[in-house]
Amino acid sequence: MKRTISIMLLILVLAVSVVFAGGDKEEAKDEKIIRIAEQVPGLITPGVWDGQAFSMNGSIYEYLAEMNPDTGELEPLLATAWETEDGSTWKFTLRKGVKFHDGSDFNAQDVKYTIERTQDPTIGHLKKQDFEVVSSIETPDNHTIILHLDEPRPTFVYQLTDYNMAILSSEYDYASLGESKPMGTGPFMMQQLTPKESALLVRNPNYWAEGLPIVDKLAIYFVPDIDASISMLESGRVDVVPFITQVIKTRLEKNPDINVISPYQEMRFISMRVDEKPFNDNRVRLAFKYAMDPQIIARSVAQMDLNDGIFYNETPIMNILAEYKEIPLRGRDTKKAKALLAEAGYPNGVSVPMYYASDHPFGKELAQTVQELAAPAGFDIDLKGYTRDIYLSQYWMNVPLSITGWAGRPDPSMLLLLAFRGGGSWNESHIDNPKINALIDNISEEANEAKRLSYYHELQEVFYEEGSLIDVQVPLLIAVSNKIVNYRHPLTQIPQYKYMDVK
Amino acid sequence: MNKTLLFILKKLGSLLATLVIMSFIIFMLVEIMPGDVAQMILGQSATPEAVSALREARGLNDPVLKRYGRWIAGVAVGDLGDSIYMQGVAINSILWRRVGHSIILALTAFIMFVPLSIFFGVLAGVKENKLSDSIISFFGLATMALPEFVSGVFLITIFAVQLKWFPIVSVIPIGESLFSNLNILILPALSITFVMFGYVSRMQRSSMIQVMNSDYIRAATLKGMPRSYVILRHALKNALLPTITIIGMNMGWLFGGLIVVETLFGFPGMGSLLMIAIKTRDVPLIEACVLLITVIFSLSTMTTDILYSFLNPRIRLQGGQR
Repeated sequence: MKRTISIMLLILVLAVSVVFAGGDKEEAKDEKIIRIAEQVPGLITPGVWDGQAFSMNGSIYEYLAEMNPDTGELEPLLATAWETEDGSTWKFTLRKGVKFHDGSDFNAQDVKYTIERTQDPTIGHLKKQDFEVVSSIETPDNHTIILHLDEPRPTFVYQLTDYNMAILSSEYDYASLGESKPMGTGPFMMQQLTPKESALLVRNPNYWAEGLPIVDKLAIYFVPDIDASISMLESGRVDVVPFITQVIKTRLEKNPDINVISPYQEMRFISMRVDEKPFNDNRVRLAFKYAMDPQIIARSVAQMDLNDGIFYNETPIMNILAEYKEIPLRGRDTKKAKALLAEAGYPNGVSVPMYYASDHPFGKELAQTVQELAAPAGFDIDLKGYTRDIYLSQYWMNVPLSITGWAGRPDPSMLLLLAFRGGGSWNESHIDNPKINALIDNISEEANEAKRLSYYHELQEVFYEEGSLIDVQVPLLIAVSNKIVNYRHPLTQIPQYKYMDVK
Repeated sequence: MNKTLLFILKKLGSLLATLVIMSFIIFMLVEIMPGDVAQMILGQSATPEAVSALREARGLNDPVLKRYGRWIAGVAVGDLGDSIYMQGVAINSILWRRVGHSIILALTAFIMFVPLSIFFGVLAGVKENKLSDSIISFFGLATMALPEFVSGVFLITIFAVQLKWFPIVSVIPIGESLFSNLNILILPALSITFVMFGYVSRMQRSSMIQVMNSDYIRAATLKGMPRSYVILRHALKNALLPTITIIGMNMGWLFGGLIVVETLFGFPGMGSLLMIAIKTRDVPLIEACVLLITVIFSLSTMTTDILYSFLNPRIRLQGGQR
């Protein structure tokens, strides 16, 4: 027994010595700090950043422009101005006196490097396809950059607000330091990063905007479990938990210290694959659409009224966008749906599996509601729920019927090219409709705004008649302690912590 | 003495062989998982050229055996490599801090459940079929049947939400160490104790009953020795043998079982790290964690064997390792 005890003591001593690697404290007196519980990120280097830990990366890095969450307009950030004649040449005037966290100056070479980096095959840049259109880059002086595009892209500036287009320093080794020592021009700098566990960010003393950021520190915990994150919020150990579910929202509503806010909507595409039976027949797609009841979907999925935080249409354009065309909703008509199905050769109804991400907010609720609604019209839906990583890595592009979460894009043409143009890389419904393709091309190349809008409207009518999707727009829910003042979170998905304050 | 040394050496040899075989199996299992690192990083939209370029750049195009050799050679000298997924982040910089946390958690649980379950096991065994035995046996069965994620939630509700004695989530505040936050250990350790208590106390009870009914105890009692002396001096020493085996075997299990407890409480240990590694498909990190759990499992089994042979010389001298 003595031996056992001494072995154990030895292990204990070893463990103690490993663990006793203290660091900088989270909180000192008279400091303002915002504490955030985020999901555990995978890769965080811009370019291959997997779209988690927005609070961390969005505070360290900056973009040429940022979006004002109240107006939806782009405002200058690292670029002070931008102009284009017809969308094929873009001139950006860059901000002077900006420094990276390592002390080097920000200039046109950095922007050039950031854009050229998208085409580096060894990186696997997620914006490679969107920036293939850039044919050449000119830097006439240190604070001007001119992009020449192969084709006109009148809304190209929005591409530069994509979260993977953070401006990087041309002199920094992101290949070996991007994951361990992220470095940009942003309002906060990384002080201490414990991978997969936590990050402590401190105010950038040389930040170019006077008076910003308002708080001194951001403490970010990476918590794998959303319920654990909520427990931390309830016990006052963190102030912000992004991306919560409706069930948690209901639970938090009783708590006077916590607000649940919804800065914008996200989309859930109920997507019908058009190159395979049964949805290759437009009558089957129409029958499915006639089986739906938007009001019931809104109530049962989010316990909200339609058009009050949750929206429904049959096109890829979100209701809140300027490009949206209001088309009256189809009433629910199961008789008509049945007749259409019979006409299409399915008099006894049709069986079809529906795939969805069961752990994604609103995924399960939406799938079950759709299943119930479609049944009386003759759709026998077999629900196949998988966790989101499995759903996205194995199913979503190859199944007849699916529910996929999509973030809204400030410029919808980015989404159209990706998901609804024939040959688009995330074209989950496999739609390759000549009318739609032509309209999408017109939209992405037309410089005249009024004309572009008319193409958008025409496109939405085509989608209403023969499209491949139902678009349910669910609220993005963020739980915020009421100590936090001025929480800002625009459609670009980057929360703007520099403007926030703590009571 | 020579025999003992030989015994230990043989054990060490078989441990090494187990580890080599296991490392190969782990590597191969990860190999057949769908998708590879390049595909994961590039996502669905990747073109085949981009994937193959990235594979080439990260040395993923080499034959399997060559990659296994590279990996195992690094592991042998204590270099678990950089995470291929998170470039430039050494696995050693993530892993050991968390392993330390997990060892402390496991030891805390150990300190709680071992004396507790042995004491109550002995008590139940001595008072066979009396009321105290029934109560202890019922409690042991109940806690054993409750999975950690149920007893954990139960404990959180009582001690963290209602009584507010301990924090709900076992997270270490940024910049502080585990030692300034020892209270975060209590609830996770308690929920491990719940599960282990049942196993160990039941084992202790039944071996105690067996020993108490044996001839030499009866002889000792008839000789007029005080009952407490008989129990502590004569019965306990023999009745402890099977219990030690059970505890030792379970130490390995306990380490693997920490995944559930650590994830539930958000405790920054190795179990939750493995969980995260699986979620983010961080292949080298998964391999390192699983290999480490294998090592700990084998080591605890081996330690149990050796310890057992010291306590029960028959095994050692008769070549019990057949």
